[in-house]
Amino acid sequence: MTEPTEDIILEMRNISKSFAGVHALRDVSFRCRRGTVHALVGENGAGKSTLMKILAGAYVADSGEIVYKGRHYDRLTTREALDSGIAIIYQELNLLPYMTVAENIFLGREPRTSLGLLDSKRMNAEAASLLNRLGVNLNVRRLVGELTVARQQMVEIARALSQQVDMIVMDEPSAILAGHELEILFSIIESLVAQNVTVVYISHRLDEVFQIADEVTVLKDGRVVGTKPLEALTRSQLIQMMVGRPLDEVFPKSRGHRGETALVAQHLTTDAINDVSLRLHSGEIVGVAGMVGSGRTELARALFGADSLRSGSLTIRGERRRVSSPNAAVRLGMALVPEDRKTQGLFMELPIRDNITVTILDRITRGAMLQRRLEAEAVQKARGELAIVMASDRQEVQDLSGGNQQKVVLAKWLATAPTVVILDEPTRGIDVGAKFEIYQLMRALTDRGVAILMISSELPEILGMSDRILVMHDGAIAGELSREEATEEKIIHLATTGRGLAEASETQTGQAID
Amino acid sequence: MTTTLTAAIPPEARWSALRRHIPYLIVYGLILALGIYGTLNSDRFLTDRNLLNIFRQSVFIGTAAIGQTLVILSGGIDLSVGSMVKVSVLVSALLMNGQPENIGVAVVATLGLGVVVGAAHAFLITRLKVAPFIVTLGTYSILRGIAYTISTTPIGRAAPPVVQFYDLKVGPVYALIVAFFVLLVVLMFVLRRTRFGRYIYAVGGNEQVARLSGIPVNRVKYGVYILCSVLAALTGLFALSRSGVGDPNIGDGLELETISAVVIGGTSLFGGRGGLIGTLGGVLLLGLIGNLLVVLNVNQWLRDLIEGAIIVIAVALYKQKGRQ
Ligand SMILES: Nc1ncnc2c1ncn2[C@@H]1O[C@H](COP(=O)(O)OP(=O)(O)OP(=O)(O)O)[C@@H](O)[C@H]1O
Ligand SMILES: [Mg+2]
Repeated sequence: MTEPTEDIILEMRNISKSFAGVHALRDVSFRCRRGTVHALVGENGAGKSTLMKILAGAYVADSGEIVYKGRHYDRLTTREALDSGIAIIYQELNLLPYMTVAENIFLGREPRTSLGLLDSKRMNAEAASLLNRLGVNLNVRRLVGELTVARQQMVEIARALSQQVDMIVMDEPSAILAGHELEILFSIIESLVAQNVTVVYISHRLDEVFQIADEVTVLKDGRVVGTKPLEALTRSQLIQMMVGRPLDEVFPKSRGHRGETALVAQHLTTDAINDVSLRLHSGEIVGVAGMVGSGRTELARALFGADSLRSGSLTIRGERRRVSSPNAAVRLGMALVPEDRKTQGLFMELPIRDNITVTILDRITRGAMLQRRLEAEAVQKARGELAIVMASDRQEVQDLSGGNQQKVVLAKWLATAPTVVILDEPTRGIDVGAKFEIYQLMRALTDRGVAILMISSELPEILGMSDRILVMHDGAIAGELSREEATEEKIIHLATTGRGLAEASETQTGQAID
Repeated sequence: MTTTLTAAIPPEARWSALRRHIPYLIVYGLILALGIYGTLNSDRFLTDRNLLNIFRQSVFIGTAAIGQTLVILSGGIDLSVGSMVKVSVLVSALLMNGQPENIGVAVVATLGLGVVVGAAHAFLITRLKVAPFIVTLGTYSILRGIAYTISTTPIGRAAPPVVQFYDLKVGPVYALIVAFFVLLVVLMFVLRRTRFGRYIYAVGGNEQVARLSGIPVNRVKYGVYILCSVLAALTGLFALSRSGVGDPNIGDGLELETISAVVIGGTSLFGGRGGLIGTLGGVLLLGLIGNLLVVLNVNQWLRDLIEGAIIVIAVALYKQKGRQ
């Protein structure tokens, strides 16, 4: 931690902003000190991103003023913000998939030769040296679209840092990072602070906040709850500030009786996974851990018929099935909540209603006609079950906060009453309160006999929720751990080396198929 | 579930719903404005005859534009509708050859041809993964080539009942207009109140999400492309009832006119957004402009210019909607 100086670099005063009747921010005042890490936390929809978008000039506040480095602004344009050294990494990635890493980093500021032509040699060299300094090992000539989202996030960070900055806003940068990349991010932040750069850090992972931030500001329902130095706070105090009441962070207990076999996968092989076998019982949660890129998402896609199988077979409720498409999978009672809700989970420009009911249109159709009443009931049910905060079900999903978007994805699948649910990073970008609601929901599902396969990069979640844990490494299952024997250490060891710790020799084959 | 999340959001927040309707307000507002302008500046404008004619002339673009709307909503495009109309006029005129007893065969064969062409489009797009723009640009040329191979001069003849259909009236309005509105209402219903309709918006909204939601994406595409080509074939039949002969020049430029109507109607060229109410507005607006220029004795070439300007201005206006 750095010494807090009295030097206030930024003060936002009495900022209000509403979107056609939705008060996203009301009279918010926010200030941060130069050369510190200032965390901004709060529930989904609290207004964190909106506040920072106003700072970056992406939105214009309805009222209020900004004092930045001693200058007063009624509004900042994006250009002014950039030129005065404010960089922002948005919650949603903003990269051009068909351009290279270097081109993305220097987009809009491409180095030119003396003739005014693009100097791609210099651009590539500078991009490479920038990434090198950041400790990211990446070929700058690769297309961004070919990279994993975690890698893309690193490109996004590099882009923000490719120019002189005094202040950098990171809106949930860690949501899609894990392990090694997370460490890189923290060391980048450390070195920024050492250069007297101010970092505003938005995250729902409170451990991180306590680890790296000096001060924290809590927003709730568009208002400031308070700003405190982190030394003065405990985790539960911070949570109480965020959700407005004490919250027990205990994972809901498994009833521990697993039912019949719901799904058996044998020797699944696709372009990305190799000879994966697993068995899912109804009423249990099987966690899938592993590094980013270890093939977890690809396993989910293979089970769901989204990627074609080279070999292997699936047996669902005792019958051998060919799941050649997601359409077939859905009809067999499967559901997949994908890791990236924006590109895979939701129709961002369609209303909430259409998103929720898209999976069950056949059930709410009578004759040829969609029944508005049945549809409204389905939406109402989902809304109640998941406590989705929305103004109306005709709102476009893109106007919801991240957490509520995730709930809509869950809602659309729960509506199908599935028997096998695959969750890929189910609580990514979700606030603590909502997170535990989702955990409870998962338990409620297993109590009803649903089988859940849960992919997650958050070890506490894996350890807290899983009845069994599969650890993937390099496209294959490196080992299986029971709830009792699993520890963070064992999982990390399996995930990084592909082999178990000394005593765990039975994990060599790792496949629990008998 | 507990209710930890109770951010106070007033129920009057209907912004996104309203936002979708702005294009309609603009288009129909323009129609109204032009209508008033025409009424004030010419006594030939606001007459039953003239208004009915505007509608009747709009039926041709309109029928084809319905199909185009479905395709564009699903994220595709169909550049072949003009050529499809051309071929349909020739085929139906040849098969009919002036004989009333051939009407059935001619109609079925022409519409069947639409099914075949639409299915071919969908096959190339879904199986061989060729972009819709390329596929239909190809069939635009192929069908046009076929048409001119059949004949470069008028050929074949419509049967008398078909010709009479053009002037047939149901009550005060032409049967052709009634037929068009029936089609329009049916497809509006399909878009809004059936599963297929929702799927079209979903596929156009985000194909990947649609696939992962279990939507049979390929089947949806077969549906929209077949409907589009069949409606183009029907446009050809309508056109035959007007011309009475298989004129190979019919249908020229219709693909672009339908796309104009769809875009003016506020439907996004990227798919997933828009609808038939807008397209109807676009069709009527184009028809109205054409008519006004005639009524007011303005040069015909101005029509293209004004049409182009309206497209650009309208779309630019729509883009401003959510920005603040
Ligand atoms: N463009 C928009 N149009 C309409 N409403 C919006 C828009 N952007 C944000 N909102 C609303 O403003 C409120 C604050 O949203 P914001 O994205 O700032 O929340 P957040 O604190 O960043 O949440 P999360 O942690 O989920 O990212 C929410 O109720 C959201 O629905
Ligand atoms: Mg946010």
